[in-house]
Amino acid sequence: MAERLRAQFGDDIAELDDNNHGHVVATVAPERYRELALLVRDDPQIGCDFFDFTTAVDRKEAGYEVVTHVTSSHTALGVRMKVLCAGEEPRCPSVADIWPGANWHERETWEMFGIVFEGHPHLVKLVLPEQFEGYPLRKSFELMSRVAKPWPGDQEIPD
Amino acid sequence: MGLMDRVPMPQPVKFILNWGRRYSLWVMNFGLACCAIEFIAASTSKHDFIRLGVIPFAHGPRQADLLIVAGTLTDKMAPALKRVYDQIPDPKYVISFGSCSNCGGPYWDSYSVTKGVDQFVPIDVYVPGCPPRPEALLQGIVKLQEKIAGEDIREKWSGKLTQPAPTG
Repeated sequence: MAERLRAQFGDDIAELDDNNHGHVVATVAPERYRELALLVRDDPQIGCDFFDFTTAVDRKEAGYEVVTHVTSSHTALGVRMKVLCAGEEPRCPSVADIWPGANWHERETWEMFGIVFEGHPHLVKLVLPEQFEGYPLRKSFELMSRVAKPWPGDQEIPD
Repeated sequence: MGLMDRVPMPQPVKFILNWGRRYSLWVMNFGLACCAIEFIAASTSKHDFIRLGVIPFAHGPRQADLLIVAGTLTDKMAPALKRVYDQIPDPKYVISFGSCSNCGGPYWDSYSVTKGVDQFVPIDVYVPGCPPRPEALLQGIVKLQEKIAGEDIREKWSGKLTQPAPTG
């Protein structure tokens, strides 16, 4: 499978690990994310028809990394797709039309990290209160309680 | 309230009324997290708070006398709790069960957890613990009953008694 992806995507897949605890992990360029998603879903040898989750990682200066994991119900394969989205207002293509299960996950990722999923049918808040301001899972999000009272533990928590 | 407003209530009447209310507390469980499991354990046969006159699972807030907030209240859930509290007819009592509802507990620095239910609902008894054992809830109920026994109904109904019970 690694060769197939390399052959089709070339340098647009920046990192490729074809056996990460039994899963394939690929970091793909944002503009070819949907192409990869369609491939892993529709290719009969891969057949990842089951959407597992979408989340994101704050990589600080490098941007926000959207992580989507899908598995197959018949080939026992799992593929984790990572997309690095740069900037303060990161944008990422939506895969909600490819796997309907991605709909709510992308809404949550949007409200927690402020990553706009382009093409998402209904990008509104899912779990946060409507009046909530800011993106709480960003590293730069200020926790007001911590401002009022410093961390009381013996050990500092690394970022 | 009629007569009760005009004449001071005789001591025996006060005693009987308070005695009646302290041993028939229909409880509304506002269970939100692991504390709700401890609450349920306290209501079942081993700990059995029915023997203290606390009757679990009121059909709704309008049939309840006691609200037990058991668990982690988030800012988004807070309006729902306030609404349940407002629906309970007077005289009503609230027990805050567990660290989360007392003060936010381990989520003291969270962006979403309400740091203390007492910010918008008057609490009669705080039960500390994470989660507290069912015995702690029984102790909290006994404390509340002591508080009810010493209560002036007129004062309670006027809404002045909103301070937590003295402990120890």
